Amino acid sequence: MSFIKLMAKNPFRNKARLTLAVVGIAIGIATIVALGMVTEGLKVSIEEQLKAGGADFVVMKNTSSESSSYTIKDNRVDEISKINGVKQAAGIYTSSRVVDGNQLGLAGISVKDLNMLGAKMIQGNAYSDDKNELILGKLAAEKMKKKVGDTLTLNNDKYTITGIFETGNKELDATGVLPLKMLQAMDENNGKVHFIYVKINNNADLKAVSQAVEKAYPGELTTISSIEDFQKANDSLNMVETASMAISLLAIIIGGIGIINTMIMSVFERTREIGVLKAVGWKSRRILGMILGESVVLTLLSGFVGILLGVVGIEAIIMFSDMAMVLTFTPALALKALGIAVIVGIIGGIYPAIRASRLPPTEALRYE
Amino acid sequence: MNNGNIVEIKDLKKGYDKGRIIALNGININIKKGEFVSIIGPSGSGKSTLLNMIGALDTADRGLISVAGNNLTEKKDLSDFRSKEIGFIFQLHNLIPNLTVLENVIIPMYGTGLKGHEMVSRAIELIKYVKLHDKANRNPTELSGGERQRVAIARALANNPSIILADEPTGSLDSKNGQMILQRLKELHEKENVTLIMVTHDLKVADMAQRTIEVLDGKVQN
Repeated sequence: MSFIKLMAKNPFRNKARLTLAVVGIAIGIATIVALGMVTEGLKVSIEEQLKAGGADFVVMKNTSSESSSYTIKDNRVDEISKINGVKQAAGIYTSSRVVDGNQLGLAGISVKDLNMLGAKMIQGNAYSDDKNELILGKLAAEKMKKKVGDTLTLNNDKYTITGIFETGNKELDATGVLPLKMLQAMDENNGKVHFIYVKINNNADLKAVSQAVEKAYPGELTTISSIEDFQKANDSLNMVETASMAISLLAIIIGGIGIINTMIMSVFERTREIGVLKAVGWKSRRILGMILGESVVLTLLSGFVGILLGVVGIEAIIMFSDMAMVLTFTPALALKALGIAVIVGIIGGIYPAIRASRLPPTEALRYE
Repeated sequence: MNNGNIVEIKDLKKGYDKGRIIALNGININIKKGEFVSIIGPSGSGKSTLLNMIGALDTADRGLISVAGNNLTEKKDLSDFRSKEIGFIFQLHNLIPNLTVLENVIIPMYGTGLKGHEMVSRAIELIKYVKLHDKANRNPTELSGGERQRVAIARALANNPSIILADEPTGSLDSKNGQMILQRLKELHEKENVTLIMVTHDLKVADMAQRTIEVLDGKVQN
C-alpha cells in the first residue's frame, strides 16, 4: 500500500462525518460551478449575439457616464448611419412581458433591419411596422405552443404571429420580435432604443469606424465588437463575475472552517494512533503530510461531488423555471472548482496537520 | 557502545509538571546487546518512563542516555533512530483499526527507502513469523486479543530493530494468550539475538528474563 493510498483510505473511516463534511464543502463548490456556468453562458450568449446577423459592432450607452439610463435617443441611429464607413445602423429596444404565465423577452426592431438579428424565418413571414404583428423565436413558439396566425396579448392589445424564426442562439430564439415603435409605445418609451446594431461597408476599417462613433458621442456611447468590449461597457457581467468571486471566497472560508473542524476532530480521535506512528519512527513532516493529504482527499472528493451537484442543480433550476438561459460548462470551470477544493483542503488541513505533527509521542500514547 | 553495552544510562533524571513530579531520579543502568531484561516496579515507580527514554519517546532533564551508539541527550530529531533501532510493543496493541494486518505491519516501513513490493514481502514474512498468514487481509477488529498482540510484534520487527521495548505486553491478555505472546518474545530473543527490554509488574513474567531491574521511586534498587 502506497503512502498516497493510505492518505486516501483514512478519511473513509468515519463515514457519517465524511458525508457531512463532503456535503458542506460540495454545496459551496456547487454554487461556484452553477454561477460559473451562468456567467460563462452569458458570455457565450452575448458573443453569439454579437457575432449573429449582419452587425459588425453594437453601440450601447456608456454606463460609466453620469447618466444612469441605459437608453439611447433613437435620432442617434440616423446620425450614426451617416458616419463615414457605416453601411447600416439599426435601433433595438428590448423589454419583456408575462404572456399566459410565461416570461417572454421582447425585441423591437424595424422590419427593414431584421437582417441585423441574423434571424432566419422558418415559418410564415416578417411583420409590418405599422400593424400589431410579431414574429416568435422557435423556442418561444414551442414553449407557448403558438403557431403562425395565432395571437398574443401584450398590454391588452392583440398581436398576430406572422412568422417563426430561428437564430441558433438560445436566448434570441426564446424571444418575440415586433415593430420598434410598437414596443417603444408599449413601454411608454417613445424615441428610445437600448442598442444600435451597426454594419460597416466592405472596404471600411472596423476599428476606425467604431472609434469614429465613440468620438462623435464622447462619454455617451460606447461600441462593442467583442465580449471584452462588452465587459468594459456594461457592468452586469462584471457584477455577476464579482458576485461569483465573492461566493467563491465565502465557500473557501466556510469550507475551510468546516475542514478545520473535521480534521481537528479526526486528529483528536486519532491522538494515540499518531503517538504510535511517532513511536515507529515516522517523522513529524510525514505526519503533517498525511493529515494534509487526507484533508485534500476529502476536499477533492467534495470538489467532484460539488461539480456534479452544481451542473445537475443549475440545469434542473433552469429547466423547471422555464428560463431561456444558455449554460456553459467548460473544463476551465471544472479545474477552477477542483483548484478551490484543493486550496480549501490545504488551508483547512494545515492547522490540524501542524497540531498532529507536534504532538509529543508520550502524551499521545497516554491519551485515552 | 562500550563493553558490549547497547544501552548505557548515567544519572538519568526526569521530572514532570515543572519538576514537581520526579519520575526518574538518577538512574544508572547498562544493558548488553542481545540481553533479555525485565524492568519491574509498582505503578508510578518510573519504569514506563525509563522505557520511553530508552525508546527516545521522551527526553531527559539531566544525565546521559546512549542507545545503540546514539547519544539521545544530544540528538534533536530522533525519528530515524526510532525507525532503525527500536521496535515498540505496547500493552494495548495500538493497531490502526481501518488498516488490514498487512498494512499495519507495513506502517513503520514508510520512509525507510523500501519499495512497495519489498515492503509487502517483508510484511508477509513477518506475518508468517507470528503465524497469522491466513489473516493478513483481515482488519484488527476481526482478530482476538492475542492475535492483535502478535500483529503488534510483527509490526515491531518491521525494520529489523536492534532493541525491542515491550511495555506490559501481556497486560491486556488472558493467561493463555499472555503465555503465547511471552513464548514468541522469548523465541525472538533466542533465535534473532534481539535485545529485549520488557516492563512488567508481574514477577512471574519478569522471571522469564535473564536479568531483572527493579525501579522504585525513580531509582534502581540494588
